[in-house]
Amino acid sequence: MSSELSTDKLLPLEGITVCDFTWIVAGPQATRILADLGADVIKVENESYIDSMRWGQQVDPENPSFNGSGFHNNFNRNKRGITANLHHPLGREVVEKLIKKSDIVIENYSAGAFDRMGFSWDRIQELNPTAIYISLSGFGHTGRDRSYITWGPTAAAVSGCTQMSGFPDKEPAGWGYSYLDHTAGYYGAIAALMALHHRKNTGEAQYVDISQIETGMVLTGVPLLDYQVNSRSYQRIGNRSRYPAVAPHNTYRCKQDNKGRDSWIAIVVEETLQWNALCDLIGDPRLKDDPRFKDNESRKKNEDVLDEILNEFTVENEAQSLMYRLQSIGVPAGLCQRTDDKMRSDEQLLFRDFYPSAPHDHLGEHRYEGYPAKFSDARWKMERGAPLLGQDTFDVLTNLLGYSPEEVANMIAELAV
Amino acid sequence: MTDSLIVGPLEGLKVLEIGDLAEITGKLLADAGARVIRIEPLEGAKSRHQGPYVDDVFDVNHSLRFAASNTSKLSITLSLNDLRSEELLVKLLQDVDVILDGSSIGTLNNISMNAERALKLKPEIIWCSITPFGLTGPWKDWHSSDLVQLALGGPMMSTGYDDHDLPPIRSDGEHSLAIAGEYAVTALLSALWLRDMNDGRAGQIIDVSVHEAVSATTEGAFANWEYMQKIVLRQTGRHAAPVRMSPWQYPCKDGEYVLMMGGGIPREKKIFDVLLEWMDEYKAAGDLHDPSYVEVLYTDPTMNVEIRNHVSETIGRFIQLLPAEDVYRRAQDLHLPWGLVRRSEENLDDPHWKEREFWWEGEVSGYQSTVLYPGAPYKFEKSPVYLRRRPPLLGEHNYQIYAEELGYSEAELIAFANSGIV
Repeated sequence: MSSELSTDKLLPLEGITVCDFTWIVAGPQATRILADLGADVIKVENESYIDSMRWGQQVDPENPSFNGSGFHNNFNRNKRGITANLHHPLGREVVEKLIKKSDIVIENYSAGAFDRMGFSWDRIQELNPTAIYISLSGFGHTGRDRSYITWGPTAAAVSGCTQMSGFPDKEPAGWGYSYLDHTAGYYGAIAALMALHHRKNTGEAQYVDISQIETGMVLTGVPLLDYQVNSRSYQRIGNRSRYPAVAPHNTYRCKQDNKGRDSWIAIVVEETLQWNALCDLIGDPRLKDDPRFKDNESRKKNEDVLDEILNEFTVENEAQSLMYRLQSIGVPAGLCQRTDDKMRSDEQLLFRDFYPSAPHDHLGEHRYEGYPAKFSDARWKMERGAPLLGQDTFDVLTNLLGYSPEEVANMIAELAV
Repeated sequence: MTDSLIVGPLEGLKVLEIGDLAEITGKLLADAGARVIRIEPLEGAKSRHQGPYVDDVFDVNHSLRFAASNTSKLSITLSLNDLRSEELLVKLLQDVDVILDGSSIGTLNNISMNAERALKLKPEIIWCSITPFGLTGPWKDWHSSDLVQLALGGPMMSTGYDDHDLPPIRSDGEHSLAIAGEYAVTALLSALWLRDMNDGRAGQIIDVSVHEAVSATTEGAFANWEYMQKIVLRQTGRHAAPVRMSPWQYPCKDGEYVLMMGGGIPREKKIFDVLLEWMDEYKAAGDLHDPSYVEVLYTDPTMNVEIRNHVSETIGRFIQLLPAEDVYRRAQDLHLPWGLVRRSEENLDDPHWKEREFWWEGEVSGYQSTVLYPGAPYKFEKSPVYLRRRPPLLGEHNYQIYAEELGYSEAELIAFANSGIV
């Protein structure tokens, strides 16, 4: 199934049209999945409601451009892009025509913002009774705090996810990026596909309200139940494991890598066979013969000294080669990879062609993170980078929405698109 | 709430779940109305052997870890080590649309089953495999765990503390399974769509790699390297970045933390102005009224790090003067995307989530009262996603499935049980 990018296979969502009013990360993550799987995702922007992530992580900061963000490119690949000025009647008409042609309308503005732009759920239904409407907002469209706003880290903080990361005697480490922008995007794509499934079976379109914070709260089920049932509040544990209570289960320092950077390896032992194999590899009599480590319960009880001994060993070793040695004897182990490690020396990702490349009309040929599944009888695509601002306006308006070239030229002249 | 007539978005979909890596996928499908039968080994799924337990006493039916990931499913037992199980599995798959295979590569060889054979037996089946590294490649048989996945995939090298004598951090909560499970739902629903929109089209095999799913979930780290050959540095309670940034997270007067998105600097000047008015109430604005700061913050495209850090740290000193809840509420009233760093249980009493009817009241086996489960991550207007049934007891539906539906007699069922098949 390694040839899933070959174009002789079908794209699962070919024929689905998406009117995409998403911006920043969470919404574009949702439509990225739909676009990768073949939906015709048409991103609608205008200088007054542009995706501000177009300015993020500019590749050439001295010459910033709407089209100069690699970050934006990665999250908006495979989509088409048009401009439409909602303050101009013709621009508004363009969006309304696009909604009429769409299976899915999706946005991730603050709750109520899309309504204020003139596109309430009632209005969308008037335009197209079969359109599914997915709205991603911070707190959702109902409830006391619905006017509050989030970015990924805000949502992680309020949901409880931030608090579950780090050492017990230190402040929460949180997540080092907007994890819940990814998660909210994944659930946005899932909701769109579930709603399509429902429409296929019943003919019924509907509106789906997604709160980014709730997409984090669903990930805190175990501590929530433990609190209610056992009156116990979650305590951070670093990289150890409380459930299951196994040891060793930690990250250990290794030799600096060949660029002089700190290097760490994760090692997990869940079974006696793995423990014996680890002891044989390390060859330190303090491990195998010491009653403090004779079984998992003993190791867990003496985890501090166990981790110290393991660290004495790992710090003398290079992380990647140690990982291979541990895996070869059946011990779960993985080095803490940076992006360059993943893209240059991760044999598995390279074998499975996880970073395919595609052209972008401003940034040139670049690699992209792949879609993490392969199909035996379908494919996902990596055909082009993100649309330049308005890159596909002419094509979409003439070929999809039925405008003549003259009408489009007139709209451009009037700044309607 | 148990089975009811309310129609979920996946009503009518029939799913068989095998192994341990498909738990989240199965839950998402089951809560949305699919009929998900989880096949468990006779001793129970791995997560039944992981705590916490009700009253901290081990019982395969009292694991809160299992409960959190298995709502709305049915449970049957079936030994996957015994060739005699083949007949039962073959019968089971005749009546399903999807097989979620979260077992290790080769597990089903013991009963002569695999995806290719299942597709021969029932060509319209979607067989969705979720494995640690995928079904192909040099690492396909490697050993894994959540910690190993978050290390190899990249999240850990972006997460941790400013002090790099401390290791990268894994955020607790089995997130690698959640990430892969979410992607698996997108893949299998897409494959179902393709099958159902093309008359007579067969099903297929989907190969989901946890490693790839996690590797695709690191936000800015990828673009920093691909476009600028920059590596991000992990930093306490904030985004990893190529350069050291000032803190985003501060303890407030009561010791609770508030997350100030982006170091507290508003994206719009007009909000910066109202933030300064708020700080002035406590004479805490320092020198931030100096117009040169506004000029740098809102007109200088080079994002002067030194100036931004000074502004951010001044805002951070300010919020330490106030209780965290007050900071959170006032900041949000000013349209600042700041968040209180909450414990998960603190959301149980928040009126906002109650008004949204987020929580699902349900049972946990072994516990006398009802509990509140986290609800769905989406609210469907017409086809609600909800708790169909409490997490199943081990093998709770053996009789229903094997006897009532597949037609085995009670005597046959007892014989299966006596010989260790179910």
